[in-house]
Amino acid sequence: MASTDGIEERLEQLQPEDFRRGLEVFRGRLREAEASYLQTCVRCGLCADSCHYYRADRELESVPAYKLGLATAVFKRHFTTMGRLAPGLVGARDFDRAMARRWVDAIFGRCSMCGRCTLNCTTGIHIAAILRAARGALAEMGLVPADLQATVDASLTTGNNMGISKQDWLETVEWIEEELQAAVGDPQARIPVDQPGARVLFTVNPREPKFFPLCLQASAAVFHAAGEDWTVASEGWDLTNYGLFSGHDGQAGAIAANLLKSMDRLGCRVLVIGECGHGFNSARWEAAEWLGRRPGFEIRSFLEVMEDYFREGRLRVDPAKHPEPVTLHDPCNLVRTGGISEPQRAILRRTVSRFVEMTPHGKDAFCCGGGGGQLSMSRFRDRRLRAGAVKAEQIRRTGARTVVAPCHNCIDQLMELNKEYKLGVAIKTVAEMVADALVSNARSQG
Amino acid sequence: MEQALRIAVLAGAAWALAGLALLAVRARAYGPKSYLAAPAGSAAAGVAYAFGPGMSPTAKESTREHPGAYLTGVGYHLGVFAALACLVLLLADRPPHGAALRVLQLLTLAGAACGAGLLVKRLSVPYLRGISCADDVVANLLTTGFAALAFAATLAPGARAAFLAETTALLLYVPLGKIRHCFFFFPTRYHMGFFYGRRGTFPPGA
Repeated sequence: MASTDGIEERLEQLQPEDFRRGLEVFRGRLREAEASYLQTCVRCGLCADSCHYYRADRELESVPAYKLGLATAVFKRHFTTMGRLAPGLVGARDFDRAMARRWVDAIFGRCSMCGRCTLNCTTGIHIAAILRAARGALAEMGLVPADLQATVDASLTTGNNMGISKQDWLETVEWIEEELQAAVGDPQARIPVDQPGARVLFTVNPREPKFFPLCLQASAAVFHAAGEDWTVASEGWDLTNYGLFSGHDGQAGAIAANLLKSMDRLGCRVLVIGECGHGFNSARWEAAEWLGRRPGFEIRSFLEVMEDYFREGRLRVDPAKHPEPVTLHDPCNLVRTGGISEPQRAILRRTVSRFVEMTPHGKDAFCCGGGGGQLSMSRFRDRRLRAGAVKAEQIRRTGARTVVAPCHNCIDQLMELNKEYKLGVAIKTVAEMVADALVSNARSQG
Repeated sequence: MEQALRIAVLAGAAWALAGLALLAVRARAYGPKSYLAAPAGSAAAGVAYAFGPGMSPTAKESTREHPGAYLTGVGYHLGVFAALACLVLLLADRPPHGAALRVLQLLTLAGAACGAGLLVKRLSVPYLRGISCADDVVANLLTTGFAALAFAATLAPGARAAFLAETTALLLYVPLGKIRHCFFFFPTRYHMGFFYGRRGTFPPGA
């Protein structure tokens, strides 16, 4: 594995103090739950086939129990009596340079933290939680792959993970607003910015203004059709949080705080997370832990909001506008970890003519391979694409012509899989499907 | 001799219970997990699901796709529980007879066979060998031996001493290695169910 991101050099520079700090962070992240998890693995191996990495490469190092075992070995050696007295018997290992190297390769390079192994573990070990604690230790030691850390740093320094300036953001919003007005045939259609007291503050993945502006336009079309009182923020509009992936809770909390500050500044009532798995998990579930307090407002997924619009009769769609078979990819952070499984299905059943589920789906869905920060870690790219073979085969078996994925990281990975495995499918967000099927919609197909 | 072994078993049981209690106390000392985000579902329902349907082959892909391993594991555990029943009856001087005896013999024999099979599998399948350590072998030998000698003891009174000695060794090992999962399985399953129940993932369709 060629070192293009300084990891090898950093590994060679590690001092005893670095290992001590790493262990301190790892220990500090463990609670009673994790301490139980770390003492429960019976190494039955039944987790192996639950992992898309292992299914794709059949390598020992990709078995979830092996990856967990690397963290467990260190836990036992440094924090248990038997690990200190009889390390060889219980598989305890020192946290040294060799182990740190194995941690980087397995915990960053062979895991998307999708949690599928947890649901299939004989005893119920939350493996992803342990591996994230291990990532936290590596982050403390400066062993986060540089490109993943750069994404985190961009969020910390510029307020969004793509470093889009405020001016560029506002100009893009303005331009999309014009496109929206043309598409819906209403010169009054707006993408409000910094509207104080709006009911909804809508947050966006920076990939939308940067690369997929039609996604943002689609979301705006949905809000317009539903007559929502909404706004985006001029600052603190980015829903992503790569601190979830780097494992650094302090940085993750600082990034999450951007959204809370926007809510406080604008006095909105509901923070709506656009279509993004890790963004939803970070804001809805993890941010409260990182910041040590429950936000004083509701946090919802845009999918839940769209489902509400349909139930309330605020949206009308013609499914004949989507005659092709359509399947749905379930982002792990949204569905399995985030608990949002049904709204997108309810929406698609109204919006398309032929909805075909993947097998398996829902909480048992396979990861596309793009999670856990994998898309930002170039050193593991080949492995990521190989691990995506499982998802590619799932898509192929559905016979679908369109794959709907309510997550931009997933969309990016699916686009690469589309090319790599020659799937020949279109890949869309849920909002795009809805916007394209709106009854009074005259959205441009360009 | 047998009297001394009975005392050794009781001492071993006390050691095992004390050891597991200490491990539990140490785990609790890491502190409770914080759950600040507003729940979307029921933690209690999640726990109930985790301990119930969530373990069944209909819900869990790993057991569905590996029925042999699943059934062997079930057989192994049933054999261990049957051996425990044999131990209790032996210590209480209430030997089983009739149908109860046949059932216990069947379960302990099957359990021992399952245990032996799992050990052979662990040592012969490369990825299982790769995730294993000495603890896995020791734990298996002690537990499989427990079931096997329980069966033997139901056939021949002469095997009782060996059964009691093996039981003592097993009980002494319980808190030292992976057999501690006999306790930690419960908090692990509880915490996992609690986590996914709060988030609305468990039970499915909630």
